Amino acid sequence: MLTINNLQASVEGKEILKGISLDIKAGEVHAIMGPNGSGKSTLASILAGREDYEITGGSVEFQGKDLLEMAPEERANEGVFLAFQYPVEIPGVSNTNFLRAAVNEKRKYQGLEPLESKDFLKMMRERMKIVEMDQAMVSRSVNEGFSGGEKKRNEIFQMAMLEPSLAVLDETDSGLDIDALKIVANGVNQLRSPERSFVVITHYQRLLDHIVPDYVHVLYKGRIVKSGGKELALELEEKGYDWVKELDVEEVA
Amino acid sequence: MSASTMTLQEKLHLDFGLFEQQLNGQSKSSVHQIRKAAMERFAVLGFPTIRHEEWKYTNIMPIVAHEFHALPTATHITATDVDSFRISGFSGSLVVVENGLFRADLSIIHPQEGVEVLSFADAIAKQHSALEHFSAHAKFDHEALLALNTAFARDGVVVQVARNVSAEQPIHVMYINDARAQNVMSNPRALVVVNESAQVTVIETFHTIGTERSWFNLGFEAVVAPNAVLSHDRLQDDKAQTTITTSTSVAQDRDSKYHSVCVALQGGLVRNNLSSALKGKGGHADFIGLYMPTGKTLIDNHTVVDHAVAHCTSNELYKGILDERGTGVFNGKIFVRKDAQKTQAYQSNRNILLSNTATINTKPQLEIFADDVKCSHGATSGQLDETSLFYLRARGIGKEKARALLLYAFAEEIVQQCANAALQAHIEHRVAELLHQEQELLTDSDND
Repeated sequence: MLTINNLQASVEGKEILKGISLDIKAGEVHAIMGPNGSGKSTLASILAGREDYEITGGSVEFQGKDLLEMAPEERANEGVFLAFQYPVEIPGVSNTNFLRAAVNEKRKYQGLEPLESKDFLKMMRERMKIVEMDQAMVSRSVNEGFSGGEKKRNEIFQMAMLEPSLAVLDETDSGLDIDALKIVANGVNQLRSPERSFVVITHYQRLLDHIVPDYVHVLYKGRIVKSGGKELALELEEKGYDWVKELDVEEVA
Repeated sequence: MSASTMTLQEKLHLDFGLFEQQLNGQSKSSVHQIRKAAMERFAVLGFPTIRHEEWKYTNIMPIVAHEFHALPTATHITATDVDSFRISGFSGSLVVVENGLFRADLSIIHPQEGVEVLSFADAIAKQHSALEHFSAHAKFDHEALLALNTAFARDGVVVQVARNVSAEQPIHVMYINDARAQNVMSNPRALVVVNESAQVTVIETFHTIGTERSWFNLGFEAVVAPNAVLSHDRLQDDKAQTTITTSTSVAQDRDSKYHSVCVALQGGLVRNNLSSALKGKGGHADFIGLYMPTGKTLIDNHTVVDHAVAHCTSNELYKGILDERGTGVFNGKIFVRKDAQKTQAYQSNRNILLSNTATINTKPQLEIFADDVKCSHGATSGQLDETSLFYLRARGIGKEKARALLLYAFAEEIVQQCANAALQAHIEHRVAELLHQEQELLTDSDND
């Protein structure tokens, strides 16, 4: 599904990613953990195509295609989805219209006709249930005046509508209380399938109690310093990020 | 002196003389005494040049260099012309003002007890009580174009709503200049009196027929009595040879509300002077505006909120999207007088510049003489927010479409505040058109 090979990236001359390699197969859930400033969100942004970063080396292949060559909208239409850490408010554009535009752009890309209005609305009503969205939320402007939890739920709802092959969740749990976290995690779990892969980026182990990963990678100072199974998250929780910092020192030494 | 060497100011003097000759018995009326005083004042002030502080960025001299007919007749436009300017879905009363003159035959006024809609000329002939407010609030001493409008206030519209009456129908005043045969300057006058606890919505639009130059110099004066509400939507969306200058003066009494939405899309030059004086406690004014100059269009909004007494609130938000060689000017004055304690006054001006040749001149100007107030102002100008753009692109929406969608959303924050839904839908459609946006994205009809 996704092969990242020795990816290096910098912003304004400062090296953020110093050679990341990851191989993610269809249906797998990979968690990427790490302290603040380790490069987690940079990785997510680069996968989605944010242009603020300079790729200085390495490659990213998505379903056999060079992902880094594609514009953000192309990546989305190819099946990459980024759930934003800070979803953007778009006053004046209702969620419904926003999603209709997004869904139909993807269909156009795939050579399909736009969805009939009633089919679109039917699909929307079904998918709303996944993250317990109500009609009022969907009718409102995109994320405008939404609480933190509502914004994150809306991200997962959008994911449900766009049916990506690869979903990157950038700190989707940050700032959520436990009830909101459960709704979001439950939504993600319903969307897990053998054809869909996830990259779950998080600062906190708690999320991984609810979205159980197949693999856990620890990112520190732009490198993956340790990889393992889901038990690595627990170990990390126990020992804290200082332990990771020691790992990094060992590796450098 | 031949016409070709005469300045416009000189010609206006001659025209004023002709106007007076036509007055017969009315030349002694109190309204005409005011008109005469206004003409004298205009003679002293002259047209404002860019040396005038309030006209620094808006040069009307190239327009003034042309000859205009200031006493055009109004007999040429037809019902078909009017139909082409109607707002789709609008079902309220329609007032047609051709070349500054009220066209009763083309107007459609839904009668309602307590709601008077009549021509300004009729009001003068009948010595209508509303005329006691004529020029009482719209002070022309330092305003040349208001003085000019007042001097040439031949006709226009008077709206008066009686105490405790809520006008069921909004009133659409359609100003049409017929510039098929000659350059036309019209000086329509609107006087709106909303009595105690009454309520009314007035909509204004401007349209030019023909290809010669067209100048609307509007004077709009309103009195909002205690506990009354005046909603005022204005759309300026005309041709490149059109000049629109407006002077709006509102006097608000206690617990009154004035809600102004002013949208300027296209035209040659647009200058709006909008001011409200909050003269009674508990008054509230909303000044909401949008301007989208492209081509060589210049749109200038000068606003004044005058907090004269305590416990009043005002909220001002003007937004601009400027493209090509379009120019925007925003000047927002807020006065908080010494006695105006507990005032809350907010002002914001936000601009998006889409080209390197577009210009915005923005100047907030707060003068606060009271000490216990909450006031804020802010002005921004810049490009589209990259993070928002990326968000849309990450959802598969192409760059151009994403830009258009964001700009539409930026404008919509203003447009959705229109008092009249039909006008709002019309403006939304126009904004989408100007942004080359697909209308399908904007319809919310499926959300029911």
